[in-house]
Amino acid sequence: MIQVVNLQKTYPGTRGVLARGEVRALRGVTLDIRRGAALALIGESGCGKTTLGRIVTGLEAYTGGEVLIDGANIAGMTARDRRAQFRKVQLIPQDPYAALNPTRTIAAALFDPLRLLARRGGKDGAWIERRAVELLRLVGLDASETLYKYPHQLSGGQRQRVVIARALTVEPEALVADEAVSMIDVSLRLGVLNLLSQLRRDLHISVIFITHDVAAARYVAQDGQTAVIYRGEIVEMGPTDDLIQRPVHPYTQSLLSAVPVLHGLEQAGPDRFIPRPTEQGESNDSSSCLFADRCPFADDRCKAAHPDPEPWAGAPDDRLVACFKPKERKVVAVPLSGRASNQ
Amino acid sequence: MAAVMEQSTMPAAPEVRIRNLSVAYQTSTGLFDAVHKLDLDIPKASITAVIGESGSGKSTLAMAMLNSVTFPGSIRSGTIEYAGRGDIVTFDRERLRRFRGEHAAMVFQASQDTLNPLKRVGAQLLDLARSHGVKDKRKVLREARELAERMALPADRTLTSYQHELSGGMRQRVSIIFALALHPQIVLLDEPTTALDVLSQSHVLEIIREIHRERGLTTLLITHDMGVVAELSDRVVVMYAGRIAEDAPSRELLRRPLHPYSQALIRAIPRLTGPLDDAQALPGAPLELRQIPKAGCVFRDRCPARMPVCDTGTPELREVAPGRRVACHLEVTP
Repeated sequence: MIQVVNLQKTYPGTRGVLARGEVRALRGVTLDIRRGAALALIGESGCGKTTLGRIVTGLEAYTGGEVLIDGANIAGMTARDRRAQFRKVQLIPQDPYAALNPTRTIAAALFDPLRLLARRGGKDGAWIERRAVELLRLVGLDASETLYKYPHQLSGGQRQRVVIARALTVEPEALVADEAVSMIDVSLRLGVLNLLSQLRRDLHISVIFITHDVAAARYVAQDGQTAVIYRGEIVEMGPTDDLIQRPVHPYTQSLLSAVPVLHGLEQAGPDRFIPRPTEQGESNDSSSCLFADRCPFADDRCKAAHPDPEPWAGAPDDRLVACFKPKERKVVAVPLSGRASNQ
Repeated sequence: MAAVMEQSTMPAAPEVRIRNLSVAYQTSTGLFDAVHKLDLDIPKASITAVIGESGSGKSTLAMAMLNSVTFPGSIRSGTIEYAGRGDIVTFDRERLRRFRGEHAAMVFQASQDTLNPLKRVGAQLLDLARSHGVKDKRKVLREARELAERMALPADRTLTSYQHELSGGMRQRVSIIFALALHPQIVLLDEPTTALDVLSQSHVLEIIREIHRERGLTTLLITHDMGVVAELSDRVVVMYAGRIAEDAPSRELLRRPLHPYSQALIRAIPRLTGPLDDAQALPGAPLELRQIPKAGCVFRDRCPARMPVCDTGTPELREVAPGRRVACHLEVTP
C-alpha cells in the first residue's frame, strides 16, 4: 500500500547570526506497508519519525528517494493526482484539542468532507448524516450524544475518536497516527489504542503508529511490524512482540531499558542498563555507526565504519538490524510470579 | 539511610501537614472545588507521588502548597503547615516570596514557559539569587554548573544560552537547576517528565532520585504516569475529582490496589509483557469540575463495584492498615 525506498529528507542549514548546519532528518529509510498491516515507528524526539509520517501523508516534501502509494510513484504525478493518492493516507495528529475547530460542532467537522464525497458520488443530504452517525459508531461514540456538541464538551478520548472518525470520512486505505494518545488521560488511552487496531482489522486499512512509547506501540502493532528509528535511520525492524522480547540492537535495548519498571508488579530485566543521555552536538558523520557515541558496547570498528541493515542471524527471515555486534539482551521487565490479583 | 529507617519505625512529625484543604474555582455557573476537604501528611525525606488524571486536582494541590493559586481559583479553607515555618495560607506577600524558592521550590510541567525568553539562563539565575539576598552569588553559579554537568548538560553553554536554544529535555533539566539553586528543603515536581521522551525521562528521574537522596529533600511528585510513580516514589496518593481515593506505599499499591479506581488505573497501563487482554481501558471519562456530585462517591459512575450506598453516602478516607488509607464503601483487606 505504502512503499518508501531510500527516503531522505534534509533540512537546509541557515546562515547569519542564527547559523546552523543542515539537518538530515531521514537518511535513507526503506519500508513497505501492505494493505491492512500495522507498523509502529519508535524512537526518541528528533529521530525523524514524525517527518516520515508527514511525508507519507503528503504534508511535507522529501529530498531524496521514492514514495509509492498503491504502487504509483508520487514523484512524477500532477498535483491533482498526487492529492488523490494522498487522500488514501490520513493523518491522526497528536493533539486532538488543536485538531478540531472549537467554534464548530462535531457534525460540522464531519459533514464537510462528507459533503464533498456526496457531491462526487451523487448522494443526498440524508446520506451525509447517516454516514456521520455510522462513522461515530465505528469509533465507539454515540452520535445522539456527540454529533451536535462542541469539542470542549467532549473528553480527550472522545475528541481523539472524533478526529479518527473525521479521518475515516474519505475512506482512507491507511491511517498515520503520530503520538495519538500522548495527550489523552491514561484511563482512556488504551481504548483509543484498541480502537486503532480494531479499525485496522474491521476496515482492512493499514495503520502506521508513530510513538516513543514502546508499550503503546505493542497494542496497535501487536501482529504487525515495529521499526526502531535512530537519527533518521532504521536501526532495527521486526515483528512487534518478538522485537520487544528479544531486542538485539543496543539502541532498541536502550529504549526498552528506559521504560519504567512497575516495582511491585514486575522486576527489571536481568540485562537492563541505564542508557546514556543524548549527547549534544552529535556529529553528522555517517562514516561511523551513528549510535557509537552513546552505545555502551561500541568498539573501534563501530567508530570506523557504518553498519547497514542486515538480516539478524538469530531470526534471518524477519529481523533486520544495523549493528556490527548484534546481541540479544533481556532488558524488558519481567512480571513477578504470584502476583496478587487486582480484584 | 539511618534517617529513613528511623522514620519507618516511629512516625516523625510530617514535613508538611495539610488539613481540610479546599481550593475552589469561580466559574460563570458557580463555585466548584478542585480540591475538596483534603487531609494529607508529607513525611520528611520521602518522595511522595500524587497521581491523577485531568481534573483530579493534583496540579491545583501543588499550586496550593506554595499558596500560588491564582484567580479564578482560591484557597477556600484549610491549613498547610510546614514544619518550623507555620501555616503558609496565612503568609503575607513578602513572607511568601521568601518562602518560595528558599524553603520550597517547584519544577513546572511546561518549563519552557517559566524561563524568561529574553535573558540568558545564567543571568536569570543571578536574578534569582539577588532577589533572595544571596551573598555568595558565585557559589550559586558554581553549583549550577556542577548540577548541569551531572545532568549531562554542557555547563558553560547552558548558562550562556537563551531558553529557545535548549531542547525540551535540556530546559526541563535547567528548571531543576533553578529549583535547587537556593537549597530548598522541599521540592515540588509537577509532571517533570511528561514532555520528555522515554530516554530523557529515565535520565531525569535518575537525577531527581540522586539529588533527593544527597540533599535529604522532601519531594512531592505530581504525575499521571504510574510508571514514574513506580520508579521514583516511596508513597503514592491517588486522587480523583479533588479527593484522595487511596494513599499507600507505592509498591503496595501496585501489588495490591484497594480502591476500584486504583485497580482500574493499574489495569489500564499498556504493558510490555503478558497477554494484551490483561490491560483494560476504564469506562467513562474523568469528571469535569461542574460534574462532580455533591453527595455520594465521586467515582461511582465509572466504578465496576457500585452499590446503592455509593449514590448517597460519601465514603470517608479511612485507615485500613498503617500507612494505607482508602475512601471506598467496600470492605477491603490490605
